[in-house]
Amino acid sequence: MEKPVEQINLKGSIQIHYEWTAGIAGSRFFQELRDHKRIMGTKCPKCNRVMVPPRIFCEECFIDAPEWVEVSSGGELVTFGESYLGTDGAMLEKPWILGIVKLDGADGGLVHFIGEAEPNDLKLGMRMEAVFNDKRNGNILDIRYFRPAKSD
Amino acid sequence: MAKRVAIVSVGMDRFKGRKIETIEEMVYKVTKDALNRAKLPPEAVEAVAYGSAVDGFTGTNAAEKGAIGGANARLKPTMRSCTSGSTAISSPILGYYHVASGLHHIVMSVCFEKMSECRPHAQHVFNTCYDEHFVRPIGLNVPIQCGLEARRFLQRYGHTELQMAKVSVKNHGNALDNPYAQRGKRVTTDDVMSSPYISWPVKIMDTSPTTDGARAVIFASQDVIHEITDDPVWVKGVGHCGDSVWFMGRRNSDLGRLDYAYKAAQEAYEMAGVREPSKEIDVAEVYDPFTFKEMQHVEALGLCPEGGAGRMIDEGISLREGKLPVNPSGGLIGEGNPIGAGMSRLCWAWLQVKGQAGGCQVKKEVNTAVCNGWGGMYQYNAVMVIGRA
Repeated sequence: MEKPVEQINLKGSIQIHYEWTAGIAGSRFFQELRDHKRIMGTKCPKCNRVMVPPRIFCEECFIDAPEWVEVSSGGELVTFGESYLGTDGAMLEKPWILGIVKLDGADGGLVHFIGEAEPNDLKLGMRMEAVFNDKRNGNILDIRYFRPAKSD
Repeated sequence: MAKRVAIVSVGMDRFKGRKIETIEEMVYKVTKDALNRAKLPPEAVEAVAYGSAVDGFTGTNAAEKGAIGGANARLKPTMRSCTSGSTAISSPILGYYHVASGLHHIVMSVCFEKMSECRPHAQHVFNTCYDEHFVRPIGLNVPIQCGLEARRFLQRYGHTELQMAKVSVKNHGNALDNPYAQRGKRVTTDDVMSSPYISWPVKIMDTSPTTDGARAVIFASQDVIHEITDDPVWVKGVGHCGDSVWFMGRRNSDLGRLDYAYKAAQEAYEMAGVREPSKEIDVAEVYDPFTFKEMQHVEALGLCPEGGAGRMIDEGISLREGKLPVNPSGGLIGEGNPIGAGMSRLCWAWLQVKGQAGGCQVKKEVNTAVCNGWGGMYQYNAVMVIGRA
């Protein structure tokens, strides 16, 4: 039997920084969110679906979707997931929750934090509403989180 | 008219959580194994299709160049398929295309992944698969996306956590007889049910491990097959597709139903002339990074009716000794999950048809087998049907 080789490990790291453009549709979306707390979608002129997040084209019909419409900041909880695992792979004592909220007036929705609720408070299909940050910077975190709706 | 293409060999090596071998060394070992098994000289292979899912694992971009030497691919045509986890089957589909086109006679697909090298954990790399605009700032990661999807799946079809646990017991147990497996073990449904949640309903023991490993598959054209074997296992059908990355807004689509997997399976079966998969498929090796994924895939692959995955495991149909065994090798959960090298599902499907699966061999005649791969931010699927005649 051959003697096993001692495993030598070499250490290193890579640091690269980025500056992403938000795109044509994304720039308008984040501007409206930042300046007016409005959630905007684009509408396909053919199939009439309203896309949130917005796109400059409808991938179903594959045509331009130049019309912008405001959609509700409230909607329905499509699904949610709580995580007991940190991004470093370590187990967490208390989970954090993400959900997908399909917004009224839109055919799509946003994946976002779920706040002011424990997993047991949540049911698929329940009404949710967005809570906006007071200080907004033009990114998806201008919405602080979605919470179970207090009105309606 | 496409050439008929057979698989004439597979290259295997042990999966491990951390292998001392580099990519080149891992690829060399499986290439050598595949050549030896088929009794082919290295120069017989005319071109190589690589498969590796994510460069970030090793921190070296275009990592497939490190495989050139090990695959004996110097000065040969090479290409890489990179469709996330579905690379496991889209890479052999790419190899198949090379031969079916008539441009090459003998081609190898080789898939590899070293997931053990990034610190502190491969989860960091998975996190970089999301876009910075709408998703990554929210912190979405693979475990929680599992929760989003599995919750819809269970709600839609009425499947249970216990049924998921039974899949885990089956696959861990099956891997005990797999000499290449990372973690075959005898576990109980209680062990699985009492393991910690990563995101409801998915628990630690519903998941596959991170793994280092490689696999190879050699394809040969109908024109040269008689020189290599008198028992060819043919590629009968292939199908693959990807749904939109905008999983929040897919139209007519529920996160709990994998439309793209149904479509890929339909394509592969049409090409293979398989009309009733649950009757015509003898054994399946499906992509099971999580227990509920095996359940989604057996439904999408038509191995049971839509919504029938729970019953399939409850009634023991998918056990190795069952009527339609699923992952008799242990799958990704038991054998290990080196993403792209999940091509092992195809290797095991081939070993089953050849009757060379050893302790993992199913107790029935095998003529037709199906395997699949899945990946992306939950959008890709690739399916291959292989068999005799």
